Amino acid sequence: MKTFKTMLKTELRLSLRGMDMVIFAICMPLVITIILGIIYGKRPAFEGASYSFFAQSFAAMPAISICAGGVMGLPLVVSDYRSKRILKRFQVTPISPIMILLVQVVIYTLYSVVSFLTTYITAAIFFGYQMNGSLGEFLGGYFLVLITIFSIGMMVGGISPNTKIASIIASLLYFPMLIFSGATLPYEVMPAGLQKIADLMPLTQGIKLLKAASLGVAVDHVLFPLIFLVVLAIICITVSIRYFRWE
Amino acid sequence: MEIVIHVKQLCKSYHNIPAVENVNIEVPRGTIFGLLGANGAGKSTTIECILGTKKPDSGIATILGMNPFADRKKLFERVGVQFQEAAYQEKITVAELCEEIQSLYQNPTDYKDLLKQFGLFEKSKNMISELSGGQKQRLFVILALIPNPEVVFLDELTTGLDTKAKRDVWKYLMALKEKGLTIFLTSHSMEEVSILCDKICILKKGNTVFYGTVEEAIESSPHQNLEEAYLWYSEEEFYNENI
Repeated sequence: MKTFKTMLKTELRLSLRGMDMVIFAICMPLVITIILGIIYGKRPAFEGASYSFFAQSFAAMPAISICAGGVMGLPLVVSDYRSKRILKRFQVTPISPIMILLVQVVIYTLYSVVSFLTTYITAAIFFGYQMNGSLGEFLGGYFLVLITIFSIGMMVGGISPNTKIASIIASLLYFPMLIFSGATLPYEVMPAGLQKIADLMPLTQGIKLLKAASLGVAVDHVLFPLIFLVVLAIICITVSIRYFRWE
Repeated sequence: MEIVIHVKQLCKSYHNIPAVENVNIEVPRGTIFGLLGANGAGKSTTIECILGTKKPDSGIATILGMNPFADRKKLFERVGVQFQEAAYQEKITVAELCEEIQSLYQNPTDYKDLLKQFGLFEKSKNMISELSGGQKQRLFVILALIPNPEVVFLDELTTGLDTKAKRDVWKYLMALKEKGLTIFLTSHSMEEVSILCDKICILKKGNTVFYGTVEEAIESSPHQNLEEAYLWYSEEEFYNENI
């Protein structure tokens, strides 16, 4: 416990000093929330809809910071620590690899939670947002999405041979998911063809889950995304622990 | 006397080129052992095979009777390591790194005392990237001592240190040795080796060319001091060809 606390404190400080995550995981979702709020205001999602377009899109906001931390932050910090031989230093101490990964996962979870709270409060105060669905279901979906996306990131960081490849894979995952999963550009305004491609991304499935939960849509819509995310998370977590390399 | 570091018939090659061949080492508790050799002679490979950061092709290496692969966590509770290259996170301060390393152990030494001992206490709040080469070197020796270890591995411990700092480090290590610490070091400074080491091993292209005390090394060579004797052992072919 002492190890975890000290590591978390130190690594969180280092991460904040780096500033990238403050920008990509905290500021960016906030800015997008404000832009969507200004553009769509209280307009309904479609003719006769019981919820607004903004309320529908809002559920995707937490996904922006999960995406930034999970597929950008996590893989880069793990591969950077490996290439700088910081992990090798840890190898000759009693710390377990799981502890090293857990500390980083908690740091990026904190960013995501802070981002969720700031966007939620902003949406509620300035754009009259209210969650119609179940908050419990939403949080359940939220942490499932977080675990799945983070496990993808851990796997990428874990198996990339060097920082350069890790950062290429991270970019290939991050930018398409950020733009086409519905996290920033609303899924509903995409043409049908693009929606089909977007459906292949784990984050798109996650966002569907979050939207269903926050809007209170029937459960049969969520079965596929739910299974998809759970299976993916199990695979990625297994691979990242099984193939963890110090050097 | 209890053997703390035990290496038997150690072999390791990279892409079929042998880096270390049949190396045997025994280090008794409370003694200082020096592994010598030119760059690329196999010193770092030997250390890494003993520590388990590299897997030997054949042979056995144990520390405190434990296998570094099977007993990693238990073993490194009692063993401190300073690698040749300094590895640290970007934008981390001296105190932060020390505190982080200290938190990994059950019964660590207070790092502040070590920083004072090694004249780095006033640098606590500085970024490590701002330290001079010698200061960084001292910091990484400190990190190896934080676990309050029974055995410490120091790979080129005083490279880059000025004369005064070097002597301070030596004095400190000698004092720890008196208290029972076992030290395994590599060095290019024969002055350091003569002062510190109870036994030495000279490697040449991965093979042991000398194993024994400093005095024995000098006696079995045609020379009067360790530096000359060391060169004679590690460049024997060259000498013979020219005689």
